[in-house]
Amino acid sequence: MSRIELVDLRKEYGNVVAVKGMDLTIEDGEFIVFVGPSGCGKTTTLRMIAGFEDPTDGEIRIDGTLVNEKEPRDRDLGMVFQSHALFPHKNVADNIAFGLRMKKVPKEERTRRVQEVSELVRITHLLGKMPAQCSGGESQRIALARTLVTEPSNFLLDEPLSSLDAKLRRELRAECDRLHDELQKTFIYVTHDQEEAMTLADRIIVMNQGEIVQQGTPMEIYGNPASYFVADFFGNPAMNLIEGEFVKNGDALEFRSGHFDIPLPAKFSNAAPGKGTLGIRPENVGIGASSGNGATIERTIELVEPLGKDTLLYFETEAERPFVAVIEGTEALKRNEKVTITFPDDAIFLFGANGDRIS
Amino acid sequence: MAMTKSQRRMSFSAFRYLVLTFWLLVVAFPIFWMVSTSFKPDREWFAWPPVYISENATLQNYLAVWADVSSHSVDEQTGEIKTYAQSLQRPWQALGNSALISVIATTLSVLFGSVLAYGVSRYKILSEARMFQLLMLRMVPPIVLVAPISIWYSALGLLDSITGLVILYFLTTLPYAVWMSKSFIDEVPREMEQAAEILGASRWRTIWEVVLPLVRSGLVATFLFILILTWSEYLLALLLSKAQVVTLPVELSKYQGSTEGRVYGRQAALSVGITLPLIVVGLIIRKHLARGFSFGMVRR
Repeated sequence: MSRIELVDLRKEYGNVVAVKGMDLTIEDGEFIVFVGPSGCGKTTTLRMIAGFEDPTDGEIRIDGTLVNEKEPRDRDLGMVFQSHALFPHKNVADNIAFGLRMKKVPKEERTRRVQEVSELVRITHLLGKMPAQCSGGESQRIALARTLVTEPSNFLLDEPLSSLDAKLRRELRAECDRLHDELQKTFIYVTHDQEEAMTLADRIIVMNQGEIVQQGTPMEIYGNPASYFVADFFGNPAMNLIEGEFVKNGDALEFRSGHFDIPLPAKFSNAAPGKGTLGIRPENVGIGASSGNGATIERTIELVEPLGKDTLLYFETEAERPFVAVIEGTEALKRNEKVTITFPDDAIFLFGANGDRIS
Repeated sequence: MAMTKSQRRMSFSAFRYLVLTFWLLVVAFPIFWMVSTSFKPDREWFAWPPVYISENATLQNYLAVWADVSSHSVDEQTGEIKTYAQSLQRPWQALGNSALISVIATTLSVLFGSVLAYGVSRYKILSEARMFQLLMLRMVPPIVLVAPISIWYSALGLLDSITGLVILYFLTTLPYAVWMSKSFIDEVPREMEQAAEILGASRWRTIWEVVLPLVRSGLVATFLFILILTWSEYLLALLLSKAQVVTLPVELSKYQGSTEGRVYGRQAALSVGITLPLIVVGLIIRKHLARGFSFGMVRR
């Protein structure tokens, strides 16, 4: 049983506020992902939990005990660093055994546990090597093993995969997921990669400018973004976000921008007119005739990008970012072809001028 | 006609070797001359045209300086007996003094310097400005310090003593020790220490098991650098010692003076004796040197 509570946690560096009064409870066994752009305070928060940064204010409790004054080694934590931080002068087996040696585990048990954990992360063939002889992916597995072997209740992972290439990243992401399932321990994972957050997390904590801007399951965050920032951050390709104006037209509300004038669904008719943003995810954009309930407009395809399984269609907008639609397959749509675009009623998001969601 | 790319590369490479060869000659010639002179009989010391490699090579100089076999020699041509003045203290004693003083002072300097450097690197116990001021201490010409230190030392009874020189060498080389070892400690990623810490290592354990093995080569390089400084220090040793404590560089100067004349061969034999220990130390620790001196320049 291990529960981590952050109570009004603050961190200031001189005049810069890195974390602005954060409240969060992390339950035993949860896979939590802190995600946000660089400088949003996610790593600082993790490092405060680890004990490498002292909070300016607020409390950190682990299992109900205040740990603010405790040394990192007394917090029952394991941490995997972005740089792996393997000890270059010790071989892989000694790296993994380090934590056990510090805890004065007898030699025989050490050897046995190093062997066990190496099997768990599939690195038994590396035990005799030096870290410099191992690849990036192998190093990350070793770093994981070194942390796993001490059997902490909580694992802190600070962008553990960001130094790896895309393929390895996917592979090790799956590995993290498997380990979490197997160990049933608390994982706190920091990343700036929304895809990692989506695939790994039980709960995503979205941070921006030192604050939690939204938290929830991956599908909640994706399907129900609380703000322009969250909507923009999650999803690949990113959500189409068109700047424009909401205008009253009789009882109904209409969205107007240079390229897209769309009557809005009835549920928005009570929203206040004014400047704002209309959002729709590329995969929800309907292309062609029979594409369901919603406003339609005619547009010319500017660019076609077949990706194999899917195809991306680009349409011109007045903004820098093109309007993108994803369709399945590689239908015979060509550049400069005119098509009907449907905005399904239930796929439209509106955001006010301040970035908050309008519902 | 324009050169092709490979011709350009070749000629650049040739030019580079030319410059390096020239530089090697400039650097190596004095050493060669020292060694060669040390084997010359006395009439070849001043010979013109100069004798580069003596055909009458002799160990006479070495024996005279290091074994006290003869402090005079017979001129083979004239049969005249030349006598050279005895120095006040024999070289072996000077060697002992030098070794004792420089090894103790260097050890203290590297020990305290690296501990201080660790504090600066990790805990910012000295600001950038303080660190620079520390280095500035070395920009004061040593001669300026001699008078006040003499007065001080005579009051403390440290003049002409091994302790006095050890303290002085320790303090004057400390800035170098701090700066050099800091550059090596800075290279050890913080995360490496934090990884050890969160795995249960105490601060001392972390330093002992993680930091020290990684900066060992750097500290060895620092040690040699400071050893060379203290081993060959002349000015302070000359002015702060009288008869009791003579170091090798001071001993060396006694072979050239108004009363002794210029006893080049003996001086060269002594010089070889001064240089050799450093070369031996360098060879013993050369594995560390290559790594130590290239540490900060290699990006991982």
